[in-house]
Amino acid sequence: MSVAEASQTPLDRLRRLGEARSLAIIGIWLGVLAVWLSVPPFTIRALVVPAAAAVLGASLGLWALTRGERKLGWWAIGVALLAILVALWFQSEESAELESVFSIGLLAATFRFAAPLAFAAMGGIFSERSGVVNIGLEGMMLAGAFFGIVVVAETGQWELGLLGAMAAGAVLALIHAFFSIHLRADQIISGFAINFLALGVTGYLFRSIYGTRGTPELEERIPNVHLPLIEDIPFFGDLFGNLNLMIWLMFAVVLTSFIVLFKTPIGLRIRSVGEHPKAADTVGISVFKVRYAAVILSGVLAALGGAYLSFGTGNAFNENMTAGRGFIALAAVIFGNWRPFGAFGACLLFGFSSALALRLQGSPLLPSDLASANLLSTLPYVLTLVVLVGVIGRSRGPAAAGRPYVKQ
Amino acid sequence: MADIPLLELKGITKRFPGVIANDHVDFELVKGEVHALLGENGAGKSTLMNILYGLYHPDEGEVRLDGKRVRIDSPRAAIDLGIGMVHQHFMLIPVMTVAENIVLGVEPHSGPFLNIDAAEKRVRDLSERFGLAVRPEALIESISVGMQQRVEILKALYRGAEILILDEPTAVLTPQEAEELFEIIRSLQAEGKSIVFITHKLGEVLAIADRVTVLRRGKTIETVPREGATEEGLARLMVGREVLLRVDKTPAQPGDPLLTVEDLRVFDERHLEAVRGVSLEVRAGEIVGIAGVDGNGQSELVEAITGLRRPESGRVVAVGEDITNEGARDSLEAGVGHIPEDRQRRGLVLDFTLAENIALKDYCEEPDSKWGWLYPKRLVARAKRLLTEFDVRGGGPQTLAASLSGGNQQKVVVAREVSRDPRILVAAQPTRGLDVGAIEFVHRRLVAERDEGRAILLVSFELDEILSLSDRILVMYEGRVVGEYSPDVSEEELGIAMTGGGREVAA
Ligand SMILES: Nc1ncnc2c1ncn2[C@@H]1O[C@H](COP(=O)(O)OP(=O)(O)OP(=O)(O)O)[C@@H](O)[C@H]1O
Ligand SMILES: [Mg+2]
Repeated sequence: MSVAEASQTPLDRLRRLGEARSLAIIGIWLGVLAVWLSVPPFTIRALVVPAAAAVLGASLGLWALTRGERKLGWWAIGVALLAILVALWFQSEESAELESVFSIGLLAATFRFAAPLAFAAMGGIFSERSGVVNIGLEGMMLAGAFFGIVVVAETGQWELGLLGAMAAGAVLALIHAFFSIHLRADQIISGFAINFLALGVTGYLFRSIYGTRGTPELEERIPNVHLPLIEDIPFFGDLFGNLNLMIWLMFAVVLTSFIVLFKTPIGLRIRSVGEHPKAADTVGISVFKVRYAAVILSGVLAALGGAYLSFGTGNAFNENMTAGRGFIALAAVIFGNWRPFGAFGACLLFGFSSALALRLQGSPLLPSDLASANLLSTLPYVLTLVVLVGVIGRSRGPAAAGRPYVKQ
Repeated sequence: MADIPLLELKGITKRFPGVIANDHVDFELVKGEVHALLGENGAGKSTLMNILYGLYHPDEGEVRLDGKRVRIDSPRAAIDLGIGMVHQHFMLIPVMTVAENIVLGVEPHSGPFLNIDAAEKRVRDLSERFGLAVRPEALIESISVGMQQRVEILKALYRGAEILILDEPTAVLTPQEAEELFEIIRSLQAEGKSIVFITHKLGEVLAIADRVTVLRRGKTIETVPREGATEEGLARLMVGREVLLRVDKTPAQPGDPLLTVEDLRVFDERHLEAVRGVSLEVRAGEIVGIAGVDGNGQSELVEAITGLRRPESGRVVAVGEDITNEGARDSLEAGVGHIPEDRQRRGLVLDFTLAENIALKDYCEEPDSKWGWLYPKRLVARAKRLLTEFDVRGGGPQTLAASLSGGNQQKVVVAREVSRDPRILVAAQPTRGLDVGAIEFVHRRLVAERDEGRAILLVSFELDEILSLSDRILVMYEGRVVGEYSPDVSEEELGIAMTGGGREVAA
C-alpha cells in the first residue's frame, strides 16, 4: 500500500469498502438478470442482451475485487459466467422445449416445494433465536404430517386436521424443551431422539392403523383459494389466482415471524435470551418461560409444514415422508442468517431447485443420462451442502444457541 | 445525613461447595450516601451484592428495606424494590443497540409493537438528566467500555433504581473515564440516590465514598467514615497486615535485547490500521511500560507479538528467532509468555478446572504428558503448588475456573505465565481487578522476574502502575509510539502525550 493510502483516515477506508460492496452486489444482480432474460417468458434471442448484462455484472465484480471486496466480487464474476453459459446454451434450444421447463408452473411448483420448508424454518428461527438448537424439526414435521392426516381421515375436516397436527408438533416440542431446558441435556442428542421417536411412532401407528393399504382416500384436503379478481390478470393471475391456503398462510407466517421477532417487545426478549440469557435474567426476563414458548411454537410451525405435505399438496401419508426436509429447513435458517426473510429466500431457492429437478426429468434440455430422476432428485440436497459449505463460519448465529442456562 | 438506614443486610450467610462466601455479614446503607465496599479478591463482595439483587439466595440472614423485612428471590423482585446493579462482568447484549439493551424487559410499546423511537427518546432524556452521554442507536459491540458502563447505569436508572450497586465499575475504565464516572456518581447522589460502590482502588474510595465497609474472608470487619481514613489504614483493614503501596526496586541492569519489533503494522477486526509502524526493543532485565489510552493499538500490538494476530508488515524477533508470521504456539516456544488483558476471553477456559487451566500451555510436553499420554496427577500436583504460591483463594486444583472470584481468576493466569519461566513476558493489564495485597504481590513478582534477566513488556492503562514498574516508558497514541520517557517523568507530561500532545520521537 502506498504512503498516500496509508495516511487515509479509518473512515475513508470504511467508506471505500462500502462502495465496493454495493457495486459487487449490483454486479451479482445483473448476472441474475442476464439468466432471467434468456429464459421464458422473455426468451430474448439476441444473445447480446443477456451477454451485455453479464459482462457489466462481471466488470463490477472485478472492480469490487480489486478494491478489497474479495468474496462478493468473485460471486459477481461467477454468476456472470454462469449467465453467459446459460444464455448460450438456451440460444440453441427450441422455444417450446424451454417453455416445458420454464413456465409459470415452475414458479407455482417452487411455492409448493418451499412451503413445508418455510414453516419448519420459521419454527427453527424461533427456537434457535431463543437459544435452543432444534434438530428435531424433522420429527415434528413428520408427526404433524401423520397425526394431521389421521384426524382428517377420522373427522373429514381439514381444519381439525391442522389442529391435530399442531398438537402433535407441540407435544414433541414440549419433550425436546423439557430435556434441553429443564434437564439441560445436549440439545443435539435430544433433537435426534425426537426424530427417532417421531419416525418410530408414526411408522408403527401407520402400519397398525392402516396396514398395507395406506391412508384412506381423503374426503377433504386443505383447499385452494380462488381469487376471481386476480385470476384474470395475465402471468400474475396464473401464479396467484389459485394457490393453496397453506401457501398464503406461509406468506403470513413469514411476515408475522419477522414482525414478532424484530418489531415487538416479545421478539426483543426472545433474541436477548438467545444471545445472553444471564443478561436477560438480570433484567427480570424468565429464560425458561421464553425458551419453552419458543420451542413449542417451533414444533407447532414445523407440524404445519408436515400437515401441508400430507393433506395439502399431497393426499396420503407415507413412512418417513418428510425425507430430510426438516434438515433442509435448518440449513435454510443458517443460510438466511436466522432471519425470517433470509430463511424464506433460502427455502424458495431449495424449492426452486426441487421444482426444476422435477421438470428437467426426461427433458430434452439435458443429455438423457443426466436427466434421470434419481440423479436430479438429489439436486436440493447437493444445493444444501454447497450452501452450507459456503456459508458456514461466515454467518453468526445466536450466541447462546445450544447452551443450557444454569440459574444459580 | 439522616441515620435511619434505607437498607439493612443482617447476618447474611452464603455457602458454596467448599467455601463460605459470606459469613454472617452485616451491611447498611443510608439514603443518599455513597458506601464503598472493600475487600480482598474472594472476600465475598460480589456474592453479597448478588444476594441483594436476587441472583443468589442466602442460606441465612435477612434483608430490610425502610425497616421492613423483604424477600428478594429474583432480579425482578429487586428491580421492583428499586434496586439496580451494574455487574462486575457486564450484562449487555453485544449485537443489540444501546436503547434495546436499556429498555429490555420494560419496553415502551404502541399496541403490540415495540416503539423504538420512544425508547431512544427516553434513553436520550435520561442520559441528559444524569449527564451520561450515550448514543441510543449504536450497537453495544461497537462502543467503548466506558460507554458500555454508562449504558449499564442507565439500565438501572431506567428501571427506577433508588439504590444502585456498582461492582468494580472502574476496573475496566481508563483514568479519564473513571473521573467521568465519579462526576456521574456525584450527580446521582445529588438526586438522592444511594450507591454501593465496590472497588480495589483505595484512592477512589477516599475520593468518592461517604462511608466504607470492609469485608475480609467473608466476614464484616468494620464500617468506617471516610473522614480520618487513609489508604494505608484501609489496606491494613482489608488484608490484615501492612501493605507496601509502593514498589521497591533497584535500577535496571539491561542486557541484550530479547524482544525486537520493527516497523510493525497491524490491522484490527474492522480492517482498520490499528498499529501503524511501531518499533521497539525490550532488553533482558528491564521492564518497558507502554502507556496510552485504551484503543490506541496496544491490544493489537500485543496480539501480534504473541502470535494471536498476523501483522500486515514489519518484524517481530524473540530471542533471536523471527516469529513475525508464526502462530501462538511458535511464539510461546520462542520463549514469549503472555498475560492477556481479558482473562475470561483469552486467559482461561472457564469450564475447565484450575489444574487444566494451568497446564493449558504445557500439556503436550513432559512432565505433563509423555508419548501422547496425559498424567493428570502431575497437573494437579503442580497446580496445588502454584495456587498456594500465588495465594489463589476460593478453590483447589479441581475447582472450575468459572467459580473463582474475578481477582482470583486473574491470579491463576499470572501464576501460569510466570511459572512457565519465559524469557520474554508480555503483561497486558496484569493487575486488572486485583486487590492491593495481590497487586503488591504481582508487582514484586514482575520486578523479581526482571532481576532474573527476563525482558518484560508491560501494557497498562494505569499510570501509577506504569510509573512505578517501568524502567522505560513508551507512549502509544493512534497506533504509533509517540514518545519515550524515563520513569521520573511527571504524570501530567505522560497524560498530555497520551492524548496526542507530546513531543515526537525521532526513531
Ligand atoms: N457460583 C459460585 N460457585 C462456587 N463458588 C463461588 C461462586 N461464586 C463465588 N464463589 C466463591 O465465593 C467466594 C467469594 O466470591 P466473590 O465473587 O463474592 O468475591 P469478590 O469479593 O467479589 O472478589 P473479587 O474482588 O475478586 O471480585 C470466592 O471464594 C469464590 O470462589
Ligand atoms: Mg467480585
